Amino acid sequence: MAPLFSTTNLTHSYGDVKALEAITLEVPPGRIGLVGANGAGKTTLIRNLLGMLRPVGGQMQVLGRPVSRESLEIRSLVGYMPEGNCLPLDQTAADFVGYAAELAGLPTDAARRRSSEILFLVGLHEERFRYLGDFSTGMFQRVKLAQAIVHDPEVAFLDEPASGLDPEGRDHMLELIRRLGEFGISVVFSSHILSDIEETCDWVVMLDGGKVIRSGPIGDLGIAEGLIVEVLGDPEPAARWMTERGATVTVTGAMLDVRVTGEDAFTLVRDALVATNVGIRRLGQSAVTLEEAFIREAEEEDRRG
Amino acid sequence: MADRPPEAVIVDRGYRHFEGTRRGRRGALGAVVRDGFRRVLGLRRKGRRKILPWALITMMLISVAVLSALHYAANQVGVTDLVADELPHHREYFEFIARVALLFIAFATPELLVPDREQGVLAVYLSRPLRTIDYLAAKGMSLGILMMAFLLIPQTIFHLLLGVFSPDGFTTYMVDNLDVLWQVPATALVYFLGFSSVALIFATLIPRVGFAAGIFLGVMIMFNGLAEFFVDVADFAGSQYGALLAFEAHPHLVRDWIFGASTSDYAVSRAGFEPWVALLVIVAVAVLAVTLAWNRYRKLS
Repeated sequence: MAPLFSTTNLTHSYGDVKALEAITLEVPPGRIGLVGANGAGKTTLIRNLLGMLRPVGGQMQVLGRPVSRESLEIRSLVGYMPEGNCLPLDQTAADFVGYAAELAGLPTDAARRRSSEILFLVGLHEERFRYLGDFSTGMFQRVKLAQAIVHDPEVAFLDEPASGLDPEGRDHMLELIRRLGEFGISVVFSSHILSDIEETCDWVVMLDGGKVIRSGPIGDLGIAEGLIVEVLGDPEPAARWMTERGATVTVTGAMLDVRVTGEDAFTLVRDALVATNVGIRRLGQSAVTLEEAFIREAEEEDRRG
Repeated sequence: MADRPPEAVIVDRGYRHFEGTRRGRRGALGAVVRDGFRRVLGLRRKGRRKILPWALITMMLISVAVLSALHYAANQVGVTDLVADELPHHREYFEFIARVALLFIAFATPELLVPDREQGVLAVYLSRPLRTIDYLAAKGMSLGILMMAFLLIPQTIFHLLLGVFSPDGFTTYMVDNLDVLWQVPATALVYFLGFSSVALIFATLIPRVGFAAGIFLGVMIMFNGLAEFFVDVADFAGSQYGALLAFEAHPHLVRDWIFGASTSDYAVSRAGFEPWVALLVIVAVAVLAVTLAWNRYRKLS
């Protein structure tokens, strides 16, 4: 499968500050999560991929086209939802979204028709003739998403689309993003909220301090390297037994979260329970959350220097 | 109770892909130009946004109607000397419409640039197949077309009505006044350049439409006074160069040059400058304004 985008030694600086440091990536089509703390380089990466910023060094391709030579062609085929305010307050939602479609090269009639369809899709059909200045934050975010997809892009770059939304608005936005994948639109979705990425994406790119610390399928993060064990009676002896043999054990009530490296966790738990004569009520795999994976990868990156 | 008809509600229309032609950069440029027209004229905006542009347009149309009526009345009573010598023709009519055009430019230029910049809409523009220079060129095109229409439509109506009212007949009048066909558009272009360049500087630097318009008008009026001061009051070597600050007067001087009329009493001409110097200043300010805007927008994007 041809990559959605790829970068080779992509470097970007703002004066003396390096925002991206020799990033090399190859990302397949689908729902891509771009995670990292504020200032990690997510927005800079997106804006470089769109050709809105010129990198200091390196190459990029989006949809198989080189950004350095075909940025305008690429921009006809992609959508962008900026993080900050980007809506004219004196226009109606229908007018602005239609105009955004025309800006991507759609003829006026088609632009108007698609504006109406997309505003229906994002749940703003009733409000489409209201002025944007009268909209709430949630409605604002939905109009921003609508303008990013109104021209039927092959990929939509969404920069913190759920920022500033209440829980209900956030769920709705994440649901819309999931649906874009079903419509055949790839999504590159940046967020510093890891649970949003975990719920929505099937590939994750982790950025920290301008470097990629991981890029891969999100499913690979749930590696069975840990077990959750619920025991009958006192869990402390078993926990101590396993800790003495190099495992990391977290005790919460009768629950033991057991993490081991380089050893079979099931065997270790079995031996511990037999040795300490503790009964077992429940046993299951503990998946690594995206947050844990991010912290672990960032720590490893720090250790590597 | 009668049975109610079955009701159906569409809860999801799904998604349809666009299969038509994408017009790329050219389509994007056209969209920005058309949006510029709508923005300046207040179309698809709240009612209060329409008041100023349409008041100025109405003023222009009334002026041409009044002026044409005066010519018609004078021709009817046969006072041809009055028609020839006293009543305003194209050059003098520019004197009036240029002042209305100054107001038009004062609000139209920042209206085209400031809201996009201050409300962050530039990020949307520049994610489309559009470069910064395309954006600025399209905005300039919107302003240019509107301004030329603003100046040329009343002049064209006026010219046609003068032909209709002429005792010599329409065709004879048109043939005798062929020069008007280049003089009027050339003068309109000079006014557009002369006024919009200065307005562009303030629209580029000031973050509020009202302030940018007010400061532009203030500068145009105050600098005229300043120029008069340098020419008439100041008495030091080189003080006559202060006359070049009369940015509002330069297009008038060039207009007189284009129409082959004796130069009116502007500070620039009193300071001894030829009309070509005024034209040079207009071009220099235009280059400065475009360079400033280009630099500012390049940084923003």
